[in-house]
Amino acid sequence: MSDTLMTIHLKVWRQDAPTQPGKFVQYTVPGVNPHMSFLEMFDLLNEQLSVKGDIPVEFDNDCREGICGSCSMVINGMPHGPQRGTAACQLHMRHFKDGDHIVVEPWRAAAFPMIRDLVVDRSSLDRIIAAGGYISTNTGAAPDANSLPVDKDDSDRAFDYAACIGCGACVAACPNASASLFTAAKVGHLALLPQGAPERKRRVINMVEQMEKEGFGDCSNHGECEAACPKEISISAIAMMRREYVKAVVGS
Amino acid sequence: MKEPNKLLSALTSQVGRKLLTGITGVLLVLFVISHLSGNLALLRSDPAPFNQYTQTLHSFGLLLIIVEVGLGLLILLHAYVGITIMQRKRAARKQGYDVVASKGGPSRQSLSSRTMAVTGIILLLFLVIHIVQMRFGPSISQGYSTMINGQEVRDLHRLVVEVFSNIWWVAFYVGVMIMLGFHLRHGIWSALQSLAAMKPRYSTAIYSVAFLLAVLLAVGFLILPIWIYINHRGATV
Amino acid sequence: MSQTPTHPKLDAKIPSGHISEKWTNFKSTAKLVNPNNKRKHTIIVVGTGLAGGSAAASLAELGYNVKAFCIQDSGRRAHSIAAQGGINAAKNYPNDGDSIWRLFYDTVKGGDYRAREGNVYRLAQISNNIIDQCVAQGVPFAREYSGLLGNRSFGGAQVSRTFYARGQTGQQLLLGAYQAMEKMVGAGKIQMYARHEMLDLVVADGKARGIIVRDLVTGEIERHAADAVLLCTGGYGNVYYLSTNAKNSNVTAAWRCFKRGAFFANPCFTQIHPTCIPVSGDYQSKLTLMSESLRNDGRVWVPKTIGDKRSPEQIPEAERDYYLERKYPSFGNLVPRDVASRNAKEQADGGKGVGETGMAVYLDFADSIRRLGDHTISERYGNLFQMYEKITGDDPYKVPMRIYPAVHYTMGGLWVDYHLMSTIPGLFVLGEANFSDHGANRLGASALMQGLADGYFVIPYTLGNYIANNTFPKVDESSEPFAATEAEARGRINQLLSVNGSRTVQDYHRSLGHIMWDYVGMGRTRDGLQHAITEIGKMREEYWQNLKIPGSPDTMNKSLEFAGRVADFMELGELMARDALQREESCGGHFREEYQTEEGEAKRDDENFSFAAAWEYQGEGTLPTMNKEPLTFEYVAPSQRSYK
Repeated sequence: MSDTLMTIHLKVWRQDAPTQPGKFVQYTVPGVNPHMSFLEMFDLLNEQLSVKGDIPVEFDNDCREGICGSCSMVINGMPHGPQRGTAACQLHMRHFKDGDHIVVEPWRAAAFPMIRDLVVDRSSLDRIIAAGGYISTNTGAAPDANSLPVDKDDSDRAFDYAACIGCGACVAACPNASASLFTAAKVGHLALLPQGAPERKRRVINMVEQMEKEGFGDCSNHGECEAACPKEISISAIAMMRREYVKAVVGS
Repeated sequence: MKEPNKLLSALTSQVGRKLLTGITGVLLVLFVISHLSGNLALLRSDPAPFNQYTQTLHSFGLLLIIVEVGLGLLILLHAYVGITIMQRKRAARKQGYDVVASKGGPSRQSLSSRTMAVTGIILLLFLVIHIVQMRFGPSISQGYSTMINGQEVRDLHRLVVEVFSNIWWVAFYVGVMIMLGFHLRHGIWSALQSLAAMKPRYSTAIYSVAFLLAVLLAVGFLILPIWIYINHRGATV
Repeated sequence: MSQTPTHPKLDAKIPSGHISEKWTNFKSTAKLVNPNNKRKHTIIVVGTGLAGGSAAASLAELGYNVKAFCIQDSGRRAHSIAAQGGINAAKNYPNDGDSIWRLFYDTVKGGDYRAREGNVYRLAQISNNIIDQCVAQGVPFAREYSGLLGNRSFGGAQVSRTFYARGQTGQQLLLGAYQAMEKMVGAGKIQMYARHEMLDLVVADGKARGIIVRDLVTGEIERHAADAVLLCTGGYGNVYYLSTNAKNSNVTAAWRCFKRGAFFANPCFTQIHPTCIPVSGDYQSKLTLMSESLRNDGRVWVPKTIGDKRSPEQIPEAERDYYLERKYPSFGNLVPRDVASRNAKEQADGGKGVGETGMAVYLDFADSIRRLGDHTISERYGNLFQMYEKITGDDPYKVPMRIYPAVHYTMGGLWVDYHLMSTIPGLFVLGEANFSDHGANRLGASALMQGLADGYFVIPYTLGNYIANNTFPKVDESSEPFAATEAEARGRINQLLSVNGSRTVQDYHRSLGHIMWDYVGMGRTRDGLQHAITEIGKMREEYWQNLKIPGSPDTMNKSLEFAGRVADFMELGELMARDALQREESCGGHFREEYQTEEGEAKRDDENFSFAAAWEYQGEGTLPTMNKEPLTFEYVAPSQRSYK
């Protein structure tokens, strides 16, 4: 475990506002400890900028333990950086070398309008959920939790899909900027559970429609979303969403 | 959900579009396989079997024309949906990335997957040339006739040999068949992923089968012009 | 000991009757709001974690118009999402003797007898409805092959009452609440304001009638009026700078309410979690928790020799001190959180800490791996081991983990009565933000339970009762109280920006954290606390003269956001020290070194300190005053905890 401090050369997208043109700006960050997370390296950069009186780089972050889904940086062309199954907040600088050049860009999608620097607006994902990504159970109306047994395998698979953190890396990684993996993960989670059955058809049709309305691209089965997903959700979810969709349209 | 407009809107939805490309794609792959298996007759030095094969096809008369028109519509639908997907893709990311890299692992992103629109358009243009050149090329009245079982038929074999005696045509066909290989490499996998009930653990196997099939089809087709060129070099046109 | 509160506002409003009937009695006598009238009322919910999300969804379902606010970019990201372990309920599915009474008892005892019995009993009663509700929403709890729900034991309980969803229980519960909320957003009953920070509470005619918020994207200051305000803004662990809380977790909304007249109760009660990944350097921005389930199979040790810097595999068995097993033979490595934390600190303070910083102890799985094999260990802890390796670069299958305690949860918060209403009428406080049901120490898997109990099942009744019992003359957002409160909020922002000094917010926050951790952390002393008060006072003074905020107020500006929050954290930190100073006893997470038994255990003083300390703001430049809500224990007789 070497603690030699590194110097990292960054090329970061800076944009003051959606209405103003953005550009890449180069920064050199000395004193980077290999134990730092990628975001802590940005903290260090921002401290250095602040002390000089420059404006720090804005980037979304919150829990910094890979579960809230806030962080959204494309690092050297890959959402959340090169390490698989990892959000940017859990990517550590030990995976980089002294003197490395790193390009950092925001999520790019028409459905994720720019806010500032590396911050984009992902509320389109919320609207996909609002269109049907739920089971309608008003508070207080629930039967006893054990009155409805759920096959363990189904329950486990439902969990695999439910693990989505809603970060949008799938959209950022997709050459078509499609939100299919995000949408399919929720469709799959709820379709695998008996509780989700009554709204099954309505749900998938409405969510797919909303995804289209928001301006996300089509899925072309590149599978890059699965590679970029910090929770490694399989594109089998997308296959499942398509089957659900066909069943909903044909079988009603 | 049974109103016809619902079905139409379903077919034009993101999922519907993908399924349409997949279904038309699979049918086209089946056509390509049958086309290749017929064309393999060109590997033989005797022109009769190939002409016999084309003659048999033509003996179906109206039915053949229906199938041909059907195929044409299939191709146009496949292309139309493909172009729609491409247009939406452009609209969905107006500003691109400075650096793009694949994260590897389960990613199926490749040169093949990223160039589907380009290879698709090339194939479409090729088809026009190919059909004009072969289907509507010189016929019996222009002297391209031969006798099969005592009947005068079109000598398509002669036309094929003449075309592939020209190195430029050979290069053109070989080039396009490589494009076909690229298109099928992602296309077959993608169609299976779109249509099949795939478990993640079969994904790699299906991806490999798709690769094998694409290579076999592309190589099968491109070997024909080369074979003919080698065997008929210098033949008079 | 006085049996009546020292302030008339501190009436807990516990319903009459036997403890098992209080909640039912309340529900049967509470006033109701006619369904047609509910839509005439607007309710503001600040924060969209478990408490806020579940409250917003439930109230919107009832017909109220809800305005929900959160500082994150989506209602799905609140820090409830990071809770790993599970959620308790008295379902008794395993048939191992659990009951509502037992959950109630364990919670009161676990809280070291500093919680209100009535509230805790209600919590235990509601716990079962929560599981039903969440399962119906599609929360994928762990299941057995029978298809029925699985349970595990957790944190010192003798029964298996914890429901869990792998190591992501908080995430799954939050997504359930978030989806319920989004459903009502889709139905038009909730207006969602993401990326909005509450800056102040508007009080009109003595009632909470609105809030002032800053749009974090445009910097615009907005006014929002309502008939009641629900504060669901979480805990204040980030006063220590380093904690397991998310970076944006803060006390600002609660603190501004404190300054408008809401009492702040037991601010010194903080929970320090024993098994976190240690600090690796000054750049560290947050700490990551490793589930305490690890202590089931890991053995905690340090070298016997002070300053032994050999790598762990070079230290022979005879030269290792398994200090928890040595000191607590019957509980061993499974002593409660506070005991485990304090002991780790004691070892590190004594120079036996391990790792580069010396601020860690080993959690060693070698014995368990030998006994059970890699496979079993990986089945039990695979994802935790993976996370540890991701963060530290060490492989815990080969090298012992290094762990150290970290600030995790705050039991203190705004004082509320049985109705969850603060001392400002119409201001309700839910979840970790209130001073809650956990007393001086929270049991594992109880935070999720409380947040959801408050939001799904308590507030719909108590809020309705408040609405039905009061009249709400229309307040206009352009009226004087709104204008005046907004002017004050703007004034604070301008004041922060006008300092234009040379030290950054981060730098101040980190220094504040050091003071808090060193003097108001795991072990507290009179001198240390007084020192902290002086130091924070000095820092506060410097802050307003030397703070540097780059950028402008009319754009997204995280430095400005944090500047406001750190200003409030400093004031809160000082109050925490004062509260810790007045509480001359040790209880739960609050350990005063002067008050310990001969064996070094916490020594409670029920005679003098069986009360909730509710602090009342007295204006700028004047010390807040402390009021007491006496705690009486009719059903559970206080006893000294022992884990020997």
